[in-house]
Amino acid sequence: MNDQLSSGDINPAIGGMLRAARDFLAHEHSLFRTLALKPILIGKGKATFSMDLPPAFAGADGMVHGGLFTIVIDSIFVLAVFTALEEIKTIATINMRTDYAGTIAPGARAVCAAECEAIRGDVAYVSGKLTTEADGRLLATGAGAFIVGTKGPMKGMRL
Amino acid sequence: MTTHLSRIHEFASRAPLASWLGFQASGEDDIVFRLTFNETHIGNPAIRALHGGVIAAFLELSMQADLFARAGAAISTANISIDYLSSSRPENMTGRVKLLRQGRRIAFMEASGWQADETRLVAVARACFTLG
Repeated sequence: MNDQLSSGDINPAIGGMLRAARDFLAHEHSLFRTLALKPILIGKGKATFSMDLPPAFAGADGMVHGGLFTIVIDSIFVLAVFTALEEIKTIATINMRTDYAGTIAPGARAVCAAECEAIRGDVAYVSGKLTTEADGRLLATGAGAFIVGTKGPMKGMRL
Repeated sequence: MTTHLSRIHEFASRAPLASWLGFQASGEDDIVFRLTFNETHIGNPAIRALHGGVIAAFLELSMQADLFARAGAAISTANISIDYLSSSRPENMTGRVKLLRQGRRIAFMEASGWQADETRLVAVARACFTLG
């Protein structure tokens, strides 16, 4: 059975955790502080953030390396899954596919919009895209699957 | 003498991302790649594992560097897909890459990454690159 996500409000328990997570991502976490993550939209199963694309993440061609696109997409996809949950659970990426549709020079900001399409059993499916903040030009699209919750202790889980 | 390894180093030296990843390569016939662990590579600090995207970036850069060393031309990644086979630790990661097929316009590569034990892979990635 494919359980489509019901539209509605974020579960209050998740909402409180999400606010804490947002503050944490913006101020405490070294990678995300570097990217200056800024929330644009957070809803049930939806997360849109803008971020810096710093020169430290450039590739050999001088443009932003696709690896940063994948880092950003993976991070925002996890948040989209988190907002869809009814209770707090661990989330780990199972697999991810990224198509690199465009290039951008370092220094500009980008926007990553993610939507959790469905949660079937313990697996959440997310798709989304990364665009330039200035003119909405497509940089990358992504699709990922995530395992939600853990049967064992949290120790050792990747995310 | 220009060797495969020296071309890999040349490619990495032009990519600021390589410094951020602590990217290294060694060996001649059997090249191994290395991500040197740094606190900024952590995904969720409560769990202290490598960020999945950081692993993907490391494996993608490894494939790019190896392909550049073979092709000697500009390359660009068309897409990448990665499977996370097991959990990671806040430690260095080692990677190995394999060329699946190099045509005139595109090449397909595969990369695997592990930490303490090569038989316990952390991630496997496959990517398609355009040449020239």
